[in-house]
Amino acid sequence: MDKQMELLQGTLDMLILKAVSLGPLHGYGILLRIQQISKDRLEIQQGSLYPALYRLEHQGWIASEWGESENKRKAKYYRLTAAGRRKLQTEAEKWNRMADLIEGILGTTAEEV
Amino acid sequence: MRAWNRFVSWLRAVTQRSRMEGEMDAELRFHIETFAEDLVRSGVPREEALRRARIEFGGIERAKEECRETRGVNHLEALAQDVRYGLRMLRKNPGFTAIAVFTLALGIGANTAIFSLINTVLLRPLPYKNADQLVTVWGYNRTRGFTTNLVSPLDFADWRSQNLVFEGMGASTDVTYTLTGTGEPALLIAYSFSSEYFHVLGVAPLLGRTFLPEEEEPGKNHVVVLSYSFWQNRFGRNPGIVGQGITLDGAPYTVVGVMPAGFKYPPRTELWTPLTAIPEAANHRDYRYLRVMARLKPGVTLQQAQTEMNTIAARLALAYPKTNKDEDLTNLIGLREIISGDIRPALLVLLSAVSFVLLIACANVANLLLSRAAGRRREVAVRAALGASRARLVRQFLTESMLLGLLGGAFGVSLASLCTRAMVTMFPPTIFNLNIPHVEQIPIDGWVLGFAAAVSLITGAVFGLVPALQAGANTNGSMKETSRGQAGGARGSRFRSALVVAELALSLILLTAAGLTLRSFVYLLRGNLGFNPEHVLTMRVLPPSSKYKTGAQLIEFSNRAVEQIQSIPGVKAAGTVTFLPLSGWQGSRSVALEGQAIPQNQRPMALWSSVTPDYFRAMGIPLLEGRFFGERDNQDAPGVAIISKSLARKIVPNADLLGKRTNVDGVKGAVEIVGVVGDVHHLGITLEMTSEIYLPFAQAPPPILCFAIRTEEDPYGVAKAAERAIWNVDKNQAIAFVMSMSQLAAESLAPQRVMMLMLGAFGGMALLMAAIGLYGVIANSVAQRTHEIGVRISLGARPGDVLKLVLGQGLGLVLIGVGIGLGGAFVLMRFVSSLLYGIRPTDPVTMGGAALVLAAVALLASYVPARRAMRVDPMVALRYE
Repeated sequence: MDKQMELLQGTLDMLILKAVSLGPLHGYGILLRIQQISKDRLEIQQGSLYPALYRLEHQGWIASEWGESENKRKAKYYRLTAAGRRKLQTEAEKWNRMADLIEGILGTTAEEV
Repeated sequence: MRAWNRFVSWLRAVTQRSRMEGEMDAELRFHIETFAEDLVRSGVPREEALRRARIEFGGIERAKEECRETRGVNHLEALAQDVRYGLRMLRKNPGFTAIAVFTLALGIGANTAIFSLINTVLLRPLPYKNADQLVTVWGYNRTRGFTTNLVSPLDFADWRSQNLVFEGMGASTDVTYTLTGTGEPALLIAYSFSSEYFHVLGVAPLLGRTFLPEEEEPGKNHVVVLSYSFWQNRFGRNPGIVGQGITLDGAPYTVVGVMPAGFKYPPRTELWTPLTAIPEAANHRDYRYLRVMARLKPGVTLQQAQTEMNTIAARLALAYPKTNKDEDLTNLIGLREIISGDIRPALLVLLSAVSFVLLIACANVANLLLSRAAGRRREVAVRAALGASRARLVRQFLTESMLLGLLGGAFGVSLASLCTRAMVTMFPPTIFNLNIPHVEQIPIDGWVLGFAAAVSLITGAVFGLVPALQAGANTNGSMKETSRGQAGGARGSRFRSALVVAELALSLILLTAAGLTLRSFVYLLRGNLGFNPEHVLTMRVLPPSSKYKTGAQLIEFSNRAVEQIQSIPGVKAAGTVTFLPLSGWQGSRSVALEGQAIPQNQRPMALWSSVTPDYFRAMGIPLLEGRFFGERDNQDAPGVAIISKSLARKIVPNADLLGKRTNVDGVKGAVEIVGVVGDVHHLGITLEMTSEIYLPFAQAPPPILCFAIRTEEDPYGVAKAAERAIWNVDKNQAIAFVMSMSQLAAESLAPQRVMMLMLGAFGGMALLMAAIGLYGVIANSVAQRTHEIGVRISLGARPGDVLKLVLGQGLGLVLIGVGIGLGGAFVLMRFVSSLLYGIRPTDPVTMGGAALVLAAVALLASYVPARRAMRVDPMVALRYE
């Protein structure tokens, strides 16, 4: 198994938006979902998840409501808002452009310069 | 939309704090417990699972804190924390807090007081509907230089019917009535208003109504509208007053209305009667005695109205050249400007003075904070080490200084309310028309409180910013016990020295201003009024025309009253005059020698008065040539006059005037000049001497008699007897303004006196604060250099050398401060010049004196720490390493 990687600065928001874009989740669920999609290769500080959730909700990209969890407990579920969906899209595009750019730079060989 | 979303979320966070906290707890608990359950499922023992879950989650409190922060709740929370902490710090240093708060209270208090005065005189809305549309309209006689000429009824009628710029125009004239039937007869200051006047002002009566147009006609005009204060004082606010009768000048009048409390126009008016034009005015266009008030139509500017009125005046001048040739202009002045009078320059000087005081206070407190910051380095370092960011520390320090500012502001407002009581004396109620606005009280209203709060906060930010930034910059400072010789020290003390130099310079400017006004006031006090105000009692009597219908009756009244008063023991001489000097009452007429062919409009103008023979002796006005009036100058004798020196010079320079005959406007036939007397400062000592012409009362008896009574002892000692003497002659005669001439003289200088006292107080405050500031800097530097001084002493320096060393540092600062201050004073004092009399704004003696006083006090302030330095024990200083 690959070694766990630390999250790049500023990408947690995008991952959360992606996670809830697949359906409403509670905080713990979001954590599990990200770990699951990343095949446990990403390490997320659990404590930093909630401030990020609160910030995203404050900005109106996700919304929350209380519901019942699989283990029959009261849990706060987050879902993506319309604004959040647009945000996720632009963030993803930006990320891809940046990744392409970095890849291009890093892949440059001596002959190409 | 997003901003709204955030706002709602913030609002919810702030208002529903406990609910949010509960939800946050529940959410995190759910996370940890579910996590623990998963761990149990993977085989971890239950007890161990919860512990592991907590550890893996990380700092729960910290996560919560960050969550709160995302919603902005923390700002409020942090502010409350800062305030609590700041208050604790201030309580811990009561000495520092007391000095800082006291300094700020002086600075903010002085500013608040002056602002409350400016607010009262210049800013407070006038109690009239859309008061900025109200303008006073005056005649403008360029030839004579009369800029605010009264208006004749005929001109007024034409102005009103021909203009298109005013919504309405009203005319008024001042009148006096004697009220009888309710206790002692009282002289009432009243105004006659044309029926539209109240509508122009836009004020509705509290009770009843104002005047109807038909009430301007003779026979129907015995109606009266009362002012609120008159209604309150005389009728105990009787709600049934409308329809009742009162007796004015012995005739019955019916009360038709009462005006609301705020309404008193013109100031001091006690009641209003309808304006009935004097019969002579119906065919004399030069019968000018009306004051005109108009309301601009919406959208019309003062300039447009001025242009229109000038056109009308020019047209009238063409149509009636005989009376209006020189009246071809008008002068429109906004009501606000008329009401605030000449006080504006004085207020601006005071405002600059107090802003200097505040700047000095700021510099002083900044200095205090800086020297305290040195002692708080450890505290700052500890807090930084515990995770406080630089911004957080700066905010903490700023909160503290703003708290200081607010505390100072709170005390300052109390100081200001004391101060306003003193400032009211600037506006004595007995002085009329001396360009002093009428101010009965200077309220501390919402605007003033708002001003004080704003100044306090801004002040707090200004004096706190540099110390706060410096404290914040020290976060990487050491927690070591001793921190002598730190790198930042030199820069810090240079900044503090610069502050002190600024304080010294500003105080010198204030001291110069104070010195100039003081010397100018002394000049005015010593000035010769042209008469001797000591031991003279005055009182004013206006016999009503309803009772005194003929001149003969007035003459008889005056003869008997003067005779009775002269027989009172302790009275040396008594006489009457129409217009008492310094009273603000005056009348002027044109004068020309008989036979001189000078057109009416170019004849010299002189203030006139009718006097009884002993008036000059009672006032102490010197006779220069000829004789005073005597008993023989009666109704049947040939007309005579006495003129003042400057009028004599104006009529015929360098010639003997005695025996020459002169024409006086309003007097039939020429009168013979029998005497020349000295000039008097009729309009107040701050204004030019005036030319005067005096007529014998027995030959020209106006219904105004101001008594002047020269006494041997205290003039007030004969006041009661003098009043009784007049009531012996006529028991229904009102007597007003019983006061000594010296009191009148003092009151006519009231604005100058208050100005001098205030600038003196501000200069003193500035001096004190600058001295404290200098003391602080020198004492601090001595404390820092204890080690160095110890070394010097142990190497053989004598106490005198140490004294020189320290005093030299102080002297250096003082010299720089005095240099800058003198330059500043030289430039700035010209703005004070309009308030000065008999002294140049750059008077070298005053400037040098102020500089000497400042230098002496400043050297004293540095001498105290210098003596301490002298006594440094080298052993102690060196051991203290």
